[in-house]
Amino acid sequence: MKPGNETAPNPEADIPSPLEARMSRWRRPLGIVLGLLTIGYAWSVVSAPIDHTQGVIQKILYVHPPLAYGAYLGFVITGFAGMVFLGRGREDLDRLAIASAEVGVIFCTLMLVTGPIWARGTWGVWWSWDARLTVTLLLWFVYLAYLLLRGFGGRNPRTARFAAIYGVLGLVLIPLNYYVIEIFGSRSMHPENLKQGSLGDGMGLPFLLGNLALAGAFFYLLLLRWEVESQRAREDDQGSEARVGGPRAPKD
Amino acid sequence: MNVALAILWKDLVSEWRSRDRVVAMLIFSILMAVVFHFALPDQDPEALRALTPGLLWTAYLFAALLGLNRSFALELENDALGGLALAPGNRGWIFLGKAAANWVLISIVQVLTAGVFAVFYRVDLLPGLTGLASVVGLGTLGICAAGTLLAAMAVRTGFREVLLPVLLLPALFPILAGAVQGSMAAVAGRPVPFESLQLLFVIDGVYLIVAFLGFDYVLDE
Repeated sequence: MKPGNETAPNPEADIPSPLEARMSRWRRPLGIVLGLLTIGYAWSVVSAPIDHTQGVIQKILYVHPPLAYGAYLGFVITGFAGMVFLGRGREDLDRLAIASAEVGVIFCTLMLVTGPIWARGTWGVWWSWDARLTVTLLLWFVYLAYLLLRGFGGRNPRTARFAAIYGVLGLVLIPLNYYVIEIFGSRSMHPENLKQGSLGDGMGLPFLLGNLALAGAFFYLLLLRWEVESQRAREDDQGSEARVGGPRAPKD
Repeated sequence: MNVALAILWKDLVSEWRSRDRVVAMLIFSILMAVVFHFALPDQDPEALRALTPGLLWTAYLFAALLGLNRSFALELENDALGGLALAPGNRGWIFLGKAAANWVLISIVQVLTAGVFAVFYRVDLLPGLTGLASVVGLGTLGICAAGTLLAAMAVRTGFREVLLPVLLLPALFPILAGAVQGSMAAVAGRPVPFESLQLLFVIDGVYLIVAFLGFDYVLDE
């Protein structure tokens, strides 16, 4: 069954879908938890010790990697949601893909802003063609293109299909880019991994809270954006009903 | 399979009759060679020779974008694309036919462009010709796989000429990385590193599979 041309009644075509309704109930409690987390996070970052060698700029650590996780998570969700949309015609997951791409781009942009600031302070340069930097920059372009495709194509099932295919291509590009870098061995200036105990005394808590708070922010924004998208879709739907004067008109 | 061959044949015949795409790509590539001359003034010939593979691939990339942008333009007239979508069988074969036609046309342009670059920048391409040809052939296959899929999408949005480069270029960076490394070795007279060919094979395979499967949804009305 392909999206856009199914004739059988599709329970998931209700707007909001059962999944969307269930997920949006989580938004408010998540917002409260996020608010509390943010207070703890801010306090812990302020009171965290200042790094011996890097100085105060090292505190970007509490923002930068969590932003990166959010960005990658957003892109992965976009790719998989698009795949399910293509395979099963689940329009609610198409709306999730839009939301996830936008939130992912915001996180990625913030990461690309905080990264050079930290790099200037520690490596002495704003930018280096380091493995992770390059891959992240390329992914940022892929998902900007994704959003442009959505914008230029307009809100219709065809654009949704195109975007889903492009999202899958973006998903494929993540491992592919890492493979390129592994082969051509651009030396990485990023630490390989945050090993157990590689953080100094008193740095673990703010880092943990940073990860939790930004993950909370990611999911809060995601749910909020998803809700907006589903409300827009409902407006479109009601608009077309009013024009045709009957039940839901076939789209496109 | 027959569908793919029929489309390949149709595209080649229609290009043979008009010759507009190949000519446009070729003139554009030669112009790029001239642009590079002004962009990199007063280079010593040795340094320029080392840069040639990178410059060549830049010209290849943009010429391919030009050609790919037009590859579905003709299909929009009289809604030929809609007609194609009605053809029985897997639409992936339509993709393969279109991609193969693009590959042939772009390859013709690339051979001629390489000759122009060899003359302009005084590079002897003959010693490493087989290596260079295999790298260019494989790299172009990847460009055509992703490019044909994305061109079919871009052509049906409002901003097709603008959108294709934005969509396609990020997907082509891995190919560019492998192809330039391989071409540099070939032009310098060294054997093409195995990693380059391996990388291009992997990317070509992945893109061909994604595009073959995805094309079904691109034409779906």
